Amino acid sequence: MEWVETTGKTIEEATEQALDRLGVDVDEVDIEVLEEPKNGLFGKTRGEARIRARVKPAEVRPKVDRRRGRDRKAPRSNEAKPADDNAQQEKSGASERSAGGRSRSGGRSQDRRPPREERSGDPVDPALVGEAAVSFMEGLTSAFGFEATVELQRDDTDLEVTVNGAELGLMVGHGGRTLVAIQDLVRVAAQRRLGDHDTHLRVDIAKYRERRRASLEAFAKQIAERVKESGRPVAVDPMSSADRKVLHDVLAEIDGVSSRSEGEDPDRRVLVSPE
Amino acid sequence: MTVGTSADTAAAVLTHIVRSIVDDPEQVTVETTDDGDRVRLDVRVGPGDLGRVIGRRGRTAASIRTVTRAAASKDGVEVDIEFLDD
Repeated sequence: MEWVETTGKTIEEATEQALDRLGVDVDEVDIEVLEEPKNGLFGKTRGEARIRARVKPAEVRPKVDRRRGRDRKAPRSNEAKPADDNAQQEKSGASERSAGGRSRSGGRSQDRRPPREERSGDPVDPALVGEAAVSFMEGLTSAFGFEATVELQRDDTDLEVTVNGAELGLMVGHGGRTLVAIQDLVRVAAQRRLGDHDTHLRVDIAKYRERRRASLEAFAKQIAERVKESGRPVAVDPMSSADRKVLHDVLAEIDGVSSRSEGEDPDRRVLVSPE
Repeated sequence: MTVGTSADTAAAVLTHIVRSIVDDPEQVTVETTDDGDRVRLDVRVGPGDLGRVIGRRGRTAASIRTVTRAAASKDGVEVDIEFLDD
């Protein structure tokens, strides 16, 4: 899976940028700190934080392993430290600073996990993951009492399950929240249960994502026009990381404007500036 | 799963989801307790499966609740969902 590299004044800021680029939530990514921010005198920032992140391969361990998981947790998070610490010390030359950086908790950095060397088993056939996803969704729509058709589009390891039928609004929910939860559960049922690490699985219900994307695209173009005409930056309303990604993607294609995200979820928003 | 309660859709959806994510679907039971306009749904799973149902930092449990509550709105009731280890 592809890594993206980002920078920011703090590790949190760099992480936010990465999440936007990847269009996922923080617990869906692996994050590695490449460089801690260096503080200059009087709180001036001398060097930016640099991290790399990727969408986390879905995780599963065989059941036997899972039971042992608890005892292993502590040693496991330690395992990744030596390499990390060395890298930081080489760069910052100040071990107490890197220790300080490491103890930062409460932020995004605590989600950092060791690279997954301990993947077990053979790769899972993406077609099987797709089948499991479709059968989960079919069971779910019929449990809801809806008549719907469930289809799978597969492009190698990219899987998209689409559900269409009448009255599916209940499965989309306000602002797509139920749809997001359903997608989460499809991933657990199909990817994690089968031990799949490689597929990208998305769910769309009643063309919600398709429509949402189209309206976000139109919105992004509107904002870009406004920014170009006025020459002044515009901050849009807070939105989810997936939505922000759509905006960034569209705005990146438009000359004369640039975009970045600012603020903390759930108030994180896209800022569009003239270039 | 009790049949004939006022939260049929919610119970069916909840049962389907939980059976689909555990290692041992046979051990999954959903018990429905009618309590006026609220319905309690107690989910029991086999040994070792509770972790899968709860997920990292409770994320899977939160998703299960969201989807089950959506289903419950079709039944016209509010539901409380509890996950229990056997």
